[in-house]
Amino acid sequence: MSMPLASSGLQTAQVAEDKLVVSIGPQHPGAGHFRFTITVDGDTIVDVAPDPGYVHRGAEKQTEYRTYLQSIPMLERSSLTDVTNIIGPYSLAAEELMGIEIPPRGQYLRMIMSENQRIMSHLYWLGIQGIFLGHSTMFMWPLGDRDIFVDLGQMIGGARITYSYWIPGGVRNDMPESFKPRALKVFDYFETRLKDYERIFFQNPLFLKRTEDVGVLRREDAIKLGVVGPVLRGSDVKSDTRIDEPYCFYKDLDFEVPSYKECDTYARCMVHLVEMRQSMRIIRQCLEKMPLGPVRVKLSPQQRTNPGEAYARVEAARGAMSFHIISDGSTKPYRVRISVPSMRNLIVLKKLLIGSHVADMPAIYWSLDYWPVEADK
Amino acid sequence: MSIVVDSFRAFIAGIRQLPRKRMTMRYPDVQTEMQSYYVYDPKLGVAKPGYKGRHILWLDKCTGCQLCSIACENISQAIEMVKVSRSQPNNKKSIFPQVDYAKCVFCGLCVDACPFYALGMTEDFNLVSTTKKNLVYAPEKLAIPPKVTRPKVEFKIDKDVAYHD
Ligand code: SF4
Ligand code: SF4
Repeated sequence: MSMPLASSGLQTAQVAEDKLVVSIGPQHPGAGHFRFTITVDGDTIVDVAPDPGYVHRGAEKQTEYRTYLQSIPMLERSSLTDVTNIIGPYSLAAEELMGIEIPPRGQYLRMIMSENQRIMSHLYWLGIQGIFLGHSTMFMWPLGDRDIFVDLGQMIGGARITYSYWIPGGVRNDMPESFKPRALKVFDYFETRLKDYERIFFQNPLFLKRTEDVGVLRREDAIKLGVVGPVLRGSDVKSDTRIDEPYCFYKDLDFEVPSYKECDTYARCMVHLVEMRQSMRIIRQCLEKMPLGPVRVKLSPQQRTNPGEAYARVEAARGAMSFHIISDGSTKPYRVRISVPSMRNLIVLKKLLIGSHVADMPAIYWSLDYWPVEADK
Repeated sequence: MSIVVDSFRAFIAGIRQLPRKRMTMRYPDVQTEMQSYYVYDPKLGVAKPGYKGRHILWLDKCTGCQLCSIACENISQAIEMVKVSRSQPNNKKSIFPQVDYAKCVFCGLCVDACPFYALGMTEDFNLVSTTKKNLVYAPEKLAIPPKVTRPKVEFKIDKDVAYHD
């Protein structure tokens, strides 16, 4: 039904007497580098055509020209809100091929950074969801509070956002002594702050009106379409890689995975809120349980791997993120296959938007936490 | 009924922020306290936590082995080895790394590659320049430790308020 649009910057096109094609993106500040066209009949969306690929950089191919270590800065740039988790599975798969064992302290540091990253990513998501729903306070607060977690990450990682911290062989450096007291202080602060968030946003009648029963993704559909992460958990499936296929020391920790029966946009938003609390709980436990010792195995910069294949999966902020590496035994991978959560969640856009109102589109779209750069790789 | 109560609660949650101190830092006038240098210990094979800003080169330790430039090769090609008129017994060819900050991504993997404790990264992140040429730091320029003249402020956190004063 939707006609391909002329590339001359045409924004709308009449396709039938009462149907109009509207182009959303790729330069919309919320949509990111992503375009989709919707066909509207009055106020109702009757067709959706997602058009990803604007920021495809060939990350899979590029890894074939770099050694295992050199790929790290390039790979983490495809998801700037979630840099630790995106390179996690790559490093885990590479380590499996190299046949090395990471010291326990290094694994705990990985978990701390990856949960900290999850909070940062969810706060960023929350800010944008707030402004999409016209709640500018909910844009300012999470992005302000996110800075505190960026500071925490900087204490360990040594950079604001792109730390290249989780590398094959362990982590780059140990954490400074001042991290623990600061982190505990921040968590106490942020827990009271989350109650404020609930009062002003999550229990706000206007927010409820705009998200309840909007964009319902039934449990069966979610499973059939193969969505991951908060979208899947918002559809009443308790699935989380940290529980199903524990990596690092997640099996020793005690945390809950939220899931909601409502299956609507509100449920997906609540999953993000609860996950932030659980992430803080995980970091607290990590700080308690962490043993002393080395954090990194010394590898040669030209480290060779054993020939073979390895697959690793971690729970990134947006869902299960996985890497499949095939190695021929040289210093560089033979082939790398990346599966990103954003791409897997994009599939449901078509399912959710058709039949909904145009005004509900931003709330539904962003509740999927779609990150174009990550999806395009 | 609950619509009225919940709206009122949302309103109060906003009002309660009014007397609080501001969270924003007045950046160009002040800046945060940064950590120490990021340096790597090749013997232990692990780095010391620190901020990964502009590099620092300890000229007397550098042997011109080019390992840093090889490490950066497929990352951003930011390091080029250049000749410097300086006689140094442990650096026969007198070549030292020169970093182009128009390309560098501040990953610090060159620091991890240096086996002679010659390269580190400083807390200096303010490398703004109007020309690309000024972003190329010659070895002599890299050897100068940065000076931060701005007053430092701390991000203070209490039980329910975070602020810069
Ligand atoms: S920090 Fe990274 S990008 Fe910059 S010069 Fe060193 S290796 Fe190259
Ligand atoms: S800085 Fe280090 S790695 Fe680079 S040339 Fe000098 S000694 Fe070699």
